[in-house]
Amino acid sequence: MDVLLGTILGLVGIGALVLSVFVFRRAKRVTAATLAEQEEMRQRMYELAILKEVGDRIGYSLNIQKVADVIVGSLNQFIEYSTASYMILGPEKIAFRADIDKAVSHAFLDDVKQRMRLSLAAILDRDLGKVPLEETVTGAILIEDQGTSVQSFFNIPLVIAGNAVGVLTVAHTKAGLYKEKEMTMLYKIVGQASQAITQLEEVVTLERGKLQAMVESMQDGVLMTDTGFRVLVANSALRGAVNIPLGRELTIFDIVDACGGVLDFKGRLEESIKLDRTFVAGEVNLSGSIYQVFIFPVKSATAQGLGVLGGGVIFHDVTRERAAEKMREDFTSMMVHELRSPLDSIKKIGELLRTPSIRDDKASYDEYMGMVYQSASNMLELVNDLLDVAKLEAGKFQVQKKPTSIRTTIEDRVKFFDAQARNATIKLDFAFDGHVPDTLMFDPVRISQVLSNLISNSIKFTHPGGAIHVHALLHTQGRSINEEVTQAGLSWFVKDAEEKFKDLPNCVVVSVTDSGEGISSENLPKLFNKFEQFATSARSGEKKGTGLGLVITKGIAETHGGFVGVGSQEGVGSTFYFTITA
Amino acid sequence: MKKILIVDDDKIFAKILRDGLGVERKDVYEVTAVHDGEEGLAKIQELKPDLVVLDIMLPKITGIEILEKLKEEGVSTPVLMSTQIADLEKISRVVELGAKGYIIKSDYSLEHIIRQIDEILK
Repeated sequence: MDVLLGTILGLVGIGALVLSVFVFRRAKRVTAATLAEQEEMRQRMYELAILKEVGDRIGYSLNIQKVADVIVGSLNQFIEYSTASYMILGPEKIAFRADIDKAVSHAFLDDVKQRMRLSLAAILDRDLGKVPLEETVTGAILIEDQGTSVQSFFNIPLVIAGNAVGVLTVAHTKAGLYKEKEMTMLYKIVGQASQAITQLEEVVTLERGKLQAMVESMQDGVLMTDTGFRVLVANSALRGAVNIPLGRELTIFDIVDACGGVLDFKGRLEESIKLDRTFVAGEVNLSGSIYQVFIFPVKSATAQGLGVLGGGVIFHDVTRERAAEKMREDFTSMMVHELRSPLDSIKKIGELLRTPSIRDDKASYDEYMGMVYQSASNMLELVNDLLDVAKLEAGKFQVQKKPTSIRTTIEDRVKFFDAQARNATIKLDFAFDGHVPDTLMFDPVRISQVLSNLISNSIKFTHPGGAIHVHALLHTQGRSINEEVTQAGLSWFVKDAEEKFKDLPNCVVVSVTDSGEGISSENLPKLFNKFEQFATSARSGEKKGTGLGLVITKGIAETHGGFVGVGSQEGVGSTFYFTITA
Repeated sequence: MKKILIVDDDKIFAKILRDGLGVERKDVYEVTAVHDGEEGLAKIQELKPDLVVLDIMLPKITGIEILEKLKEEGVSTPVLMSTQIADLEKISRVVELGAKGYIIKSDYSLEHIIRQIDEILK
C-alpha cells in the first residue's frame, strides 16, 4: 500500500512539475509571440511608409525606366547596399543605371553588370551579347580598391503585364546580407510598381482601344498623315472607299489616284498642313458612293503652343443625302405632274367644248363631262392624301374611335368594290373568323379608307381571272400567328409575321390577299415610305398612283395603336394586313 | 385625207387630241384612237396610217416594243412618241429607234402638237 501511495504521490509530483513547466513555457511563448507581432507591425508600418513614398514618387508614370529610377533612388532608406541598379531592355539598347552608396571598384561594378546581363538574358530567354548598354552611374565615386568584390547580391525581375522587361539588383561588399526580410520588402516594392504600371497600361490600352474602335466604326472615311504625308491612321470606311483591303499598305497616292482629276488631294493636304487651314474640298465619287471631302490640319498642344502634327481627312458619305434629295425632287415633280396633268386636261376640254361641233355632239359632251368629273375627283383625292400625309408627318393626324362593327365595315367595303372587281373579272370575297369580336373601337371612316386603299391596290395589280380575299381573324396573345393563319385556312404571303406578333396582346388581323403580280423583296420595305415608293414608280414609268395611299394606311393603323404589314411572292401574290386592338 | 392613229391608254389625252385635230384640221386628217399596245399594233397593220402617235408606256405591249417591231419589219410609218414624264433615257431610246419626235403629256400644247404633226406629214 505504501508503495502504491508513494508511487501515486510521486506521479502527482511529476505531473505537477510537468504542468508547471508547461505553464511556464506557454507563458514564455506568449511573450515571444507578442514581441514578434509587435515587430511585424512595426515592419508593416515601415513597409507601408516606404511603399507609399515610392508610390507617390512614381505617380502615374507609364515609363518603367522612370519608375525603376525612383525605386533605385529610394532604396537606401531601408536597405543597405553598395550599389542598387537596374537593367531594362529597350528597342536597341539596354538601359543601365546604378546608384552607388558606398565607394566600390570598377571591377565590382563590372561584376554587377555581368551578373545582371546574365540574369536579364535568362529571364528574357534571349542572347543579349551584342546589345549595347546605355549607362548612368550616380552616387559615390568608383575607386581602384581590389578589396571590394561582390559579396552579397540580390536580383529581382521587373515584370509588366506578365512580361519580363528588366532586372533590379542590389549588391554589397559585405557578405551575408539580403535575408528574407529585405528580399520580401524589395519584392513588394517592385511588385507594387509593376502592378501600378500594368493597371495604368490596361487603362491606356482600353482608352486607346475605345478611340480606335470609334474611328474604326465611323461611317465616314478617316485618314491622318504626318507632315511628310505618311499615312498614320486609315479606318476601314476609308479603305473601302478607295478599295484598298486591310493588310495592304495604304499610301497617300492611293487616295490621290482614287480622287483622280476631280480633286487635287495632295495639293490641298499640303496647303492645309502648311497654312494651318481647313478645306471643304468638294465631292468625289468613289466605289459607287458620293463623298464630301474635308481636309484639315491635325494639331496638338505642346509646351511650345499648338503644333501641327499632320493632316486629317474625312470622307463624309453623302450618298444617302444625295439620294434623298433626288427622291424629294422626283416626288415634287411627280406631284406637280399629278396635279397639273388633270388641270391641263380640264382646261383643254373647256377650250374644245367651246367648239359647237363638239359641244353639240351629245355623246362627246357627256364623255368630256365624265372626264372633267374624273380628273377633278382624282385631284381632290390627291389633295386629301397630301393633307393626310402632311398631318401624319406633323404628328397631328387624329382618329375618332368609337365602338363599331368591324364585320359591317369590311362587308360594306367589299360590296363597294364588287362591281369594279367584277368588271376586271377578279373574284373578290371575304371571310370572318367566328372568334373575332364584332364590335371594336376604331374610326369607321379611317378604317374604311384603309380597306379601300388595300382593296383598290389589289384590284390594280391583279390580272383578270385572279382572286382577292379579305379576311379577319383574331390573334390571341402568346399564340403563333402562322399557326392561327394556317388554322383559318388562309393563304398568306407574310414571312416576318411571327416576330411582329410575338408578345402582342389580342388583336384582330384584317388581311387582303391577292393573286396579283407580287412585289420584289427589294421593293417590299419601300412600300410604306413616301419618297421611296414614289421614286420607284416614277423611275419605272409605271402608272401605279402616287403611293401615298399606303403611307396613309400605315399612319391610320398606327394611330389606332395597331400596325400594317406586307408579304409577297413575286408572280404569285401579295398579302397586306393591318391590326386593330381587340 | 391622211390617216393618223393615236395609241394611248390615257383616254383623256387621246380624245382631246383626236377632237382637237378634228376641229383644227377638219377634212385634213382622219384620226383613229386605240388604248392598248396589242390593239395599236393590229391597227397599224390594218389601217396603214400615215402617222402614229404612240405612248411609250402602254398596257400589254409597250410603245417601245411596238417601235422595235416596226423597225424590225421595215415599216417606215412616221411615229410621234408621247410620254407622261420627260425621261431622257427613254426619249433617247425612241429617237434611236427612229421616232420623229416626242410629246411630253404633262405639259403639252394642242397647237404645238398639231404643228408637229403638220410638219411630219407635209
